[in-house]
Amino acid sequence: MITEITEKEYETLDPATPKMIEFYSKTCGPCKMLSFVLKDISKQKPDFPIYIIDFDENRELKERLGVKGFPTMLFFKDGQEVSRLEGLKQKPAIINAIEALY
Amino acid sequence: MGNIYDIIIVGSGPAGMTAAIYAIRANMKVLLLDRLAPGGQMINTNEVENYTGTGKLSGAELAIKMFEHTQELGVEFDYKTVVNISNGGDLKTVTCEEEGTVYQAKAVILATGTVPRRLGVPGEEEWAANGISWCAICDGAQYRDKEVVVIGGGNSAVEESIYLAGICTKLTIVTMLDLTADPKACDQLRKMPNVTIYPYQEVLEFTGTDRLTGVRFKSTKEDATERYVTCDGVFEYIGFSASSQAFADLGILDRTGCIQTDARMCTSVPGIFGAGDITVKHLRQIITACSDGAVAANSAASYVESLK
Repeated sequence: MITEITEKEYETLDPATPKMIEFYSKTCGPCKMLSFVLKDISKQKPDFPIYIIDFDENRELKERLGVKGFPTMLFFKDGQEVSRLEGLKQKPAIINAIEALY
Repeated sequence: MGNIYDIIIVGSGPAGMTAAIYAIRANMKVLLLDRLAPGGQMINTNEVENYTGTGKLSGAELAIKMFEHTQELGVEFDYKTVVNISNGGDLKTVTCEEEGTVYQAKAVILATGTVPRRLGVPGEEEWAANGISWCAICDGAQYRDKEVVVIGGGNSAVEESIYLAGICTKLTIVTMLDLTADPKACDQLRKMPNVTIYPYQEVLEFTGTDRLTGVRFKSTKEDATERYVTCDGVFEYIGFSASSQAFADLGILDRTGCIQTDARMCTSVPGIFGAGDITVKHLRQIITACSDGAVAANSAASYVESLK
């Protein structure tokens, strides 16, 4: 499931749940094409939570998480960042990062 | 053995997507594959201004329109990395990296395009993706109010420099020749107050300790003056290399790794076609890639019909 959130909503997420946070920008081509890949992954893994956050409108959070560019995917488990992928990545690489959370 | 298709198209940039549209409209059973996502190099282009009929729009917007067009027509698409294509005569075998997935097709259109070329100088490997980037619209934001060097003087270098100069305090262009891009874009860049251009230069090295700090280069003119420019980031746009490793065994590549085709986009192997930037051609543009895709699909469909 893909849900768009803000930095305020990010604070309310259950830390225990494995999840992906993707920072994107409305002006970024690779981000737009990554959204197709993420939709495809979400069909394959409908129960895995994918949260997308606008890089330009949530600057405090991206600074805190050390996100420098977009798209950037952060993978969390037990409230800790386990791995991150920067740029448009191949679908199997993203699936591998998700499966490593379980 | 997996499904048998009439035509498998490898690569979903403008050439591959157009080929898919023409092939499915010719009643072919079509599979379109891409290792990454639809769009190819187009998605890294900030603005496209020369694609007939669309006016000014981003490369990603054009890619989305093309991809949605393929999906409206029912083209089957999958995310797969093709690692080998073997010619079994009337039936070609397409092998993918993912769990040994194998497809068969009567015809294959190769439209895998190109990847950015690298300089191969000291420091490049060390700072790749951590100071040196090949995509201004992906990584440009982190250099807001900072100093950046762009390597190259062709269309991509100039277009992305215009974008970067709008967000950076200082932009230096280091290029092997002079600016060779579209004259209108070159004029626009030359007028930007924070831009310095060093033509006829050879890059010697990228320097830094815990982060990239600068670029050393020297003039290729007689004086061979050496210069050092400090910067926070570098963007390289020095051309492209063909993504053709998976087809090396077919004997259809020229010495640069591009696919040699005739005017009908046929290669020397019956049933294997090429289209787009990966082919040997003079002008690599979205619109010429689309043209190649249409011709390749038409030729491939004729070939498939001839097997009946």
